[in-house]
Amino acid sequence: MSEPDVVSSEPATKRRGRRLKGGPLQTRRTEFEDTLARTASARGAEAGASLPRASLWGDAFHRFMKNKASVVAAVAFLALLAFVIIVPFVSSEDPYALDFSQAYLSPSWDHPFGTDQFGRDLFIRTALGGRVSFAIGFAATFTIMVVGIVYGATAGFLGGHVDNALMRFLDALYGLPYLPFAIMTLAVFGTVNFWTMVVALTIASWFTTARVMRGQIITLKQNDYVRAAYAAGAKGPRVLYRHLLMNTLGVIIVFVFLELPGVILGEAFLSFLGLGINPPKASWGTLAQDGYTAYQAHPYIIVIPSLCIAWLILSAFFIADGLRDALDPRTKEA
Amino acid sequence: MALLEVEDLRTYFKTREGEVHAVDGVSFEVEEGSVLGIVGESGCGKSVTSLSIMGLVQSPGRVVSGSIRFDGRELTTMSDKNLEDVRGKQIAMIFQDPMTSLNPTLTIGTQITETIRRHMDLSKSAAEKRAIGLLEEVHIPDAARRLRDYPHRFSGGMRQRVMIAMALSCNPQLLIADEPTTALDVTVQAGVLELLDDLRRDHGMTMIIISHNMGVIAETAEQVLVMYAGQVVEQATVIDLFDRPEHPYTEALLGSLPKIDEPNPRNGRLSTIPGRPPDLLVPPEACRFAPRCRYAGMDDCNKVQPELREIRTGHWVRSNHPASERAAEPVGAR
Repeated sequence: MSEPDVVSSEPATKRRGRRLKGGPLQTRRTEFEDTLARTASARGAEAGASLPRASLWGDAFHRFMKNKASVVAAVAFLALLAFVIIVPFVSSEDPYALDFSQAYLSPSWDHPFGTDQFGRDLFIRTALGGRVSFAIGFAATFTIMVVGIVYGATAGFLGGHVDNALMRFLDALYGLPYLPFAIMTLAVFGTVNFWTMVVALTIASWFTTARVMRGQIITLKQNDYVRAAYAAGAKGPRVLYRHLLMNTLGVIIVFVFLELPGVILGEAFLSFLGLGINPPKASWGTLAQDGYTAYQAHPYIIVIPSLCIAWLILSAFFIADGLRDALDPRTKEA
Repeated sequence: MALLEVEDLRTYFKTREGEVHAVDGVSFEVEEGSVLGIVGESGCGKSVTSLSIMGLVQSPGRVVSGSIRFDGRELTTMSDKNLEDVRGKQIAMIFQDPMTSLNPTLTIGTQITETIRRHMDLSKSAAEKRAIGLLEEVHIPDAARRLRDYPHRFSGGMRQRVMIAMALSCNPQLLIADEPTTALDVTVQAGVLELLDDLRRDHGMTMIIISHNMGVIAETAEQVLVMYAGQVVEQATVIDLFDRPEHPYTEALLGSLPKIDEPNPRNGRLSTIPGRPPDLLVPPEACRFAPRCRYAGMDDCNKVQPELREIRTGHWVRSNHPASERAAEPVGAR
């Protein structure tokens, strides 16, 4: 980083002389300066060769890979995702075929996860249930993010009375208990399907995201580069997008992985209460609920989907942890 | 007609306790091609004056009254949309802290080209070419390559050069430099000032340079405005001001500078100005400097606010006891 001041470190007399000559700066460069510039760029090239061209995301990836726990978690997360995606494609089992002669088979080579009371293969049903859980989890996390970001960013960016009104309203909403409200929402809809589930899980869980976003935007708004952008004639919406929202991406990504397990757990919990996806479809929550009725004789039925949920939640938390460290510029030196 | 005419500018900030009169009746003119220096201690209103010109005073502050005419157009009543077009294109600004004035998540190139394309109808590649030219002009070696670097790869001095390049990107008529070297290393300061001066000459720019550093002002400015407690207390050409300061405050400011060649009268201790600036919440009716003034005596210094008057051609002062009248006065030092 020492190249820049090479030019200004030349003797003052030289600079004075240069100014007097007039004409555009480039043509006024002396031989001495050219040599300096060349050595400077040569040094720069060397530095460029030894230091990888760091992009922000590249740096973050690098730091993430250094965190062993997070890397293991990411692998575990991806493995689970691969399991739920791939198994239904390659399995020859029919997840919905009833065969009471095959009921309650313990895990074996033919049925790695055993069978349920209707004789359905639990390996493929766990994979399919995982698809539902993941899908609801991602969809609900997405809607939570969108609602929370829009609400929080609006409040933080506009500030003043708008901010006050929006945040006091949010304070009131904060009083709503998450699960009872989700249950009520499902009751109001009357049916449980993918989208009502997403709405029920979103409706009382975007508050924290909105608050965090508002805080982020307000903090970022104080930055000199925001003021500088305005001073350069940038318009409000552009500043909001380019300098504020884009700079919260790191926080948003971390939040996705913090929110996802909560949502999936919520879905599982609702399913366990009997408010889940309708049979014969299943999610991990409904599978666990099926197992609950026979947990003494056939514990594997409840243990396996529960382990899946735990697996997902733990890995997501560790990923979030690693991402937070990786995306936080303050940990750059580490 | 001067390029910039500020008349009786008043910018107040609403607080819980009342309105803070940050800028209280400031008037000045800047002729095209000249350099105006504004000097004063922290909180005297110099930065707020510049932000008022840019229309960037943030809530709870606002320009209460007064007029700012730039190139014959009134800025205080201009619509936001028109003002956005003036900012960056006709009036550009450089901020104090180059470490925070650049968005850390965007490359230097992106930030410069965006500013260029905001105001000029250029293609992306043309804007990039222009950006390279600008970076070369501010002596960034290997400009084409450095365009793709993020701000954290630049030193403080380089970042300020980048900020200068960005400010120059649309050939502004007026450049406001708000403490452009305060956050920089002393060795880098001189280089940046030199650069600003060179560029100003090359581009035929008018400049307002704001500083609390008398040295910076002496080096760069042609006209100097001394501000105290939201008001102009003295205005003169730079040579006249430094050779024959009239206002007791200016005298004290210059007197507080350490000098290498003079033995210090106070046993090697720097002379200071006792007291502190008045509370701008309820500005006194009297001379605002009276409580700290060595010459405020039995007369109405503590009752009536002195007017800004022309004590000799081109030298304005707001004091009952300017240096050149003091010998004739019986009251003298207390």
